[in-house]
Amino acid sequence: MRQLSAGVATLEGAELRYGFVNTQLRALVGEQAEGQRVIDQPGRLPASLLAILPQVYANGVPYVAKACVCTPQLGEQAAQCFDFALDPYHDEQGNLSGLLLLAVDVSEQEHARQQSHELVTKTRQLDARLRVLTETAPLITYTMDAQGHYTYASPQWYRFTGQNPVADLAAAWPLLIHPDDRLRVLYEAETARRQGTGWNYEYRLRRFDGEYRWMLSRSLPEVHLPDAPAYWHGALTEIHLQRELSEARRRGEAEVRFLADSIPELIWTATAEGLIDYYNQYTTEYSGLTKDELGPTGWVGLLYPEEQAEAARGWVRSIASGAPFEGEYHLRRHDGTYRWHVIRAQRLADGSGLRWFGTCTDVENQYRLRQVLQTQYDELARAHHDLDTFVYAASHDLRQPSLNLRGLFEELRRTATFTDPEQGLLLSMFDQALGQLDTTLLDLATTVRTQRQQQEPTESIDVELLVEEVLLGLHAKIVQSQARVELQLCPVPVLVYSRANLRSVLHNLLSNALKFAHPERPPHVVVHSYLTPDGQPVLQVQDNGLGMALDNPGSPQFRLFARQHAHIDGTGVGLYLVQRIVSSQGGRIEVASTVGQGTTFTIYWTQASPSA
Amino acid sequence: MVMLGGATGTPPSKPKRLLVRIVLIIYYPSMKHILYISRAVRPLTDEDLQQLLDQSRRDNARHGITGILFYSHGNIAQLFEGEDGIADNLFKRISVDGRHTHVIKHIDKPITARSFNEWSMAFHPLEPSGFTALQGFVLPHHMPPTPTSLAIADALLVELVRLAVFGPDPSTPYQQAFPTLPRS
Repeated sequence: MRQLSAGVATLEGAELRYGFVNTQLRALVGEQAEGQRVIDQPGRLPASLLAILPQVYANGVPYVAKACVCTPQLGEQAAQCFDFALDPYHDEQGNLSGLLLLAVDVSEQEHARQQSHELVTKTRQLDARLRVLTETAPLITYTMDAQGHYTYASPQWYRFTGQNPVADLAAAWPLLIHPDDRLRVLYEAETARRQGTGWNYEYRLRRFDGEYRWMLSRSLPEVHLPDAPAYWHGALTEIHLQRELSEARRRGEAEVRFLADSIPELIWTATAEGLIDYYNQYTTEYSGLTKDELGPTGWVGLLYPEEQAEAARGWVRSIASGAPFEGEYHLRRHDGTYRWHVIRAQRLADGSGLRWFGTCTDVENQYRLRQVLQTQYDELARAHHDLDTFVYAASHDLRQPSLNLRGLFEELRRTATFTDPEQGLLLSMFDQALGQLDTTLLDLATTVRTQRQQQEPTESIDVELLVEEVLLGLHAKIVQSQARVELQLCPVPVLVYSRANLRSVLHNLLSNALKFAHPERPPHVVVHSYLTPDGQPVLQVQDNGLGMALDNPGSPQFRLFARQHAHIDGTGVGLYLVQRIVSSQGGRIEVASTVGQGTTFTIYWTQASPSA
Repeated sequence: MVMLGGATGTPPSKPKRLLVRIVLIIYYPSMKHILYISRAVRPLTDEDLQQLLDQSRRDNARHGITGILFYSHGNIAQLFEGEDGIADNLFKRISVDGRHTHVIKHIDKPITARSFNEWSMAFHPLEPSGFTALQGFVLPHHMPPTPTSLAIADALLVELVRLAVFGPDPSTPYQQAFPTLPRS
């Protein structure tokens, strides 16, 4: 009895005194319980049990109380649970003499029971949640069994297809698939079922209004190893719009690509970071390089070596600021010849974010034509000017001999005698002719002079303001070449000059300083104006560019079409014009230069005169 | 922090090294450079970055890898150069590294000479004070101009990638980005 795992005690007599108490029960009622009354020594027995003890004794009928909670033992947390059994027992005479108390510790079972109860409640909650979720999500969920029959479809399916809720799901579903897709879908589903894998395919399903809509069907098997899967659960999503959109986009993209590839022009696109991700067909034909060889920045390698750094800077600037990219560059063709191109790129926001679209347009022919036209125009202008000058000089120079002629004639008339009777008439005719010659020459000179004056009206001009105006016009070039322009302008007396001419002088000098820059350093131009000690206004333009070889002291750079740097564009008339303008106003121009270091032009605006 | 920047592996054994040297003398090893950009899975802390810098510098120095790594706000870009096999191995390891995703390789091509003489990193630490003295660390906008031996197309690419990682520098935009000297 002592080794029993259950607690055993006898409660003797109507007073219910503890008789025999085994070890297990001692833990419940205390060590010194034997001989005591239960009421005096209840230990940890639950009050409900104590309350019914007398009744059980009175009735003499066995009683079982299940899962009674006893207060926990000192130092223990969890309350213990016991099943109590009360059995009346009798003495030899058959009289009721006491109760046998059996206590079985069922704490663990009770705990487990409670846990499973909680689990069931939780499962029920989860199930409810899952149901709400599946029935409210904008997609159809379904279950298919191993035979390929649909056994469950969420209410969305009935709403979508317009089928009666009592319709036979297994029979109806395949019939609602578009006839063109049906066999494929059934085949793929069956293959997946046989292999025990999931599936993922698209097909058209008939909507309640009879229209077929593209659906995406995805499914996974429910696996309980080692058994083969018995159910496939999946979801059906309507992807009609996305599919149409992406199809339209694919179509559109293919058309645009085709268009871009068939245009004889270099076309490319770049990512927001400025990395080129598409070159059209013509680009590869023109450059003779594959798209891989060109790479994300390979275009810059096609430019003239001298132009590469500036183009790269410009591109980085555009990428950083989002400003359009534009420039004229030499682009190498597959045969090694360089042709002028206008490269333009603009940033555009399409559906997938920012992108750059660029073109390179061949302007070699236009460029050549422009150059030829410019040369011809300059030649014409010069010829016209030379002609003017010639006429003026000729008329001027011829006036002197004509005056001499008149003087000689007067002298002749005064001293010589004529016998001819018609002499008077002849003399007057000669006089008349001389007068006519003189008038004609005078008129001619006047005409040319007034014409010129009309062309080039002079005015009082502030040189400082005009320099700033010209620099403003060259702003783009200055930024492009990262030039530094330093102005050291002291107030110079106002010049009386033709505005157009003065501007032409300043423009020519400043733009030359920028144009003939040294490739190894950004241009640094110093514009300096001052007065000579004798009060002569002077303008100095100093650069750090290529410099010129001044081997001929007879100022060769002022000759027409004399070009110092054949690789830089120019017509060679700039300095010639400057010199003519300055000298025609009575000034002169000096030049000092060192090859590879820079050039300084000094303009003396007026003739040196002590009175100025 | 090994994968992102460093080439790891055991150095070749002695006889093998001798053989390698002989081969080196006979055939000058062909080199290549690789540029990729990627996104860090989570932002790297100053400690992460410093650890990456230390480890990578050690490993890369041992394997003759030179180049530069840009990091800013989860954006990563790295240009590195080295012998073909080593560079390829390094990239293979980098591309499967779990600490970053969206690895896109933009350049992978042979070079004749190195453009960088060491391996370094450029990033904005939260606490710059401790970093400025570190070997191989550069602040993004105090970087030396791209080396002149880099073809201009590649220099442009590095510049664009730097721009993509760090954004434009408002103080000195595009200054010194490209040397004006024409390069072939």
